[in-house]
Amino acid sequence: MNAPLRVARCAIVCAGLLGLGVQAEVPPPGRLLASNCFQCHGTNGKGPGFDTIAGKSPDEIYKKLREFAAGKEGSGIMARHAMGYTDPQMRAISSWLSTQR
Amino acid sequence: MQRRKFLHHGSSLLLAAQPFLAWADDDRSKKRRIQRESEGAVNSTAPNPNPTANAKAKSRVIVIGGGMAGATVAKYLRLWGDAVDVVLIERRTSYTSNIMSSLVLTGQRSLASLNYGYDNLLNAYGVQVLIDDVTDIDPLAVRVKLASGTQLTADRIVLAPGIDFDPVPGLGASDRMPHAWSAGPQTALLARQLAAMPDNGVVVLTIPKTPYRCPPGPYERACLLADWMRQRKPRSKLLVLDANMDIVTEKDNFTKAFLGLHGGMIEYYNNAEVTEVDPSTMSLVTRAGTFHNASVVNLIPRQRAGALVARTGLANATEGRFAAVNVLNYASTLAPRIHVIGDASATTQPKAGHIANQEAKVCADAIIRSLAGLAPDPAPVTNSACYSTITMRSASWLTAVFQYDPVSSTMQAVPAGSAASVGWNGDNYEQMAIWFKALMADSFA
Repeated sequence: MNAPLRVARCAIVCAGLLGLGVQAEVPPPGRLLASNCFQCHGTNGKGPGFDTIAGKSPDEIYKKLREFAAGKEGSGIMARHAMGYTDPQMRAISSWLSTQR
Repeated sequence: MQRRKFLHHGSSLLLAAQPFLAWADDDRSKKRRIQRESEGAVNSTAPNPNPTANAKAKSRVIVIGGGMAGATVAKYLRLWGDAVDVVLIERRTSYTSNIMSSLVLTGQRSLASLNYGYDNLLNAYGVQVLIDDVTDIDPLAVRVKLASGTQLTADRIVLAPGIDFDPVPGLGASDRMPHAWSAGPQTALLARQLAAMPDNGVVVLTIPKTPYRCPPGPYERACLLADWMRQRKPRSKLLVLDANMDIVTEKDNFTKAFLGLHGGMIEYYNNAEVTEVDPSTMSLVTRAGTFHNASVVNLIPRQRAGALVARTGLANATEGRFAAVNVLNYASTLAPRIHVIGDASATTQPKAGHIANQEAKVCADAIIRSLAGLAPDPAPVTNSACYSTITMRSASWLTAVFQYDPVSSTMQAVPAGSAASVGWNGDNYEQMAIWFKALMADSFA
């Protein structure tokens, strides 16, 4: 009695997983956060606008963000913007942007 | 490159099948769909998580409204969710930017330079664009009816209809008091009226009660017009009638500009809500008194979400003016599969194009996750940024970063990441043009 049931349950579970698999486009970490940069630096960090920020090393982008947030790059709009993020958020933004070319 | 080419090709196929019934209820052509997806499997450089995916129909999202919010959500649903079909429904064949449109009044920009079409959304991202009018939305069946008679069903609908204006008692159909707050013919009309005004004219600009579209907008327009009048109509005056108790944003800069730089030109009245107007005598009755014989009146009425929101029964916030939403995914609090973004939703964020663009990205990301059976990002971040013209050659700036607060379930401005410039200068004016170009490209290209 039990064995066929288990098979049936497995079939349902597998079908369910497959169903999910069909549209499983799990957003990469940091992408949505980094999209806050796109309005000024272009979609995916490049394009018309301010400096291209795509494709630099994660350390380089993170260091720059920290400098802005610490006020070492003046008190302009980008400095204020950088001050709005937590340290882990800056790391996530930097590492996602570094994957873009 | 290859992917873009493919999308263009696939979309052309669908568009060629006018009158666009690929989505009408469930009579979509499976054959065409499968053909398109198998091409995708060959040409696409994107990794395919599961080879059996092509056998299953894609998810569908309908976006209503092709402004800043609508264009951005359509673009990002396709950019981030290749397994999502997106149709954008918009009445007009192109969008005219409200941002920068006050510069049309001073002759510094043309309306044509503020026009954005939808070709890029189709060609680069495969967004299907329908020029049509939505007459009815069934929020439970997730179905829309169009003026052309077409019916479309989807997995989700994103409403981005922008704002509508309250009727002003006495105004009727007169064109003598344009709002010019939805860029287009009214902007051109107001520009003509200003240009034709005699040198000793009185211009009235009214500011509605909050929340309205672009909080600094009316104040920056006042500053810009005052500078233009000083050069072109130096004996004129500008009366600013503000329905609010005080300047609602960037108070330091606008106070300094109104009292100092433009002190000889601007008279500012607070708590001056307009209750009635008479275009034949160019009069306005306000809570701060009655003003007669204005030469030009820029009457910006109080605002509410685009009519479709109330018609769908979703205007359940701000005294029935705007739609309450969950800011993790911008779903209506009344209809979980209908999302409302941009100026039409009621949130703690300003109603403006830059942040509408970011709300659209949060919404697109959450929809893609939801269609994959995942919860939305639990800690979304948005940002608002803009420049305000203080003169015809100088500007200030205003910016804010918003973080999700799980206690209040709202987006809260981070104090350290929210500020205005101290004063204004020509560099900001130059940067404003770069910001605008980038923002429009991120939304429409």
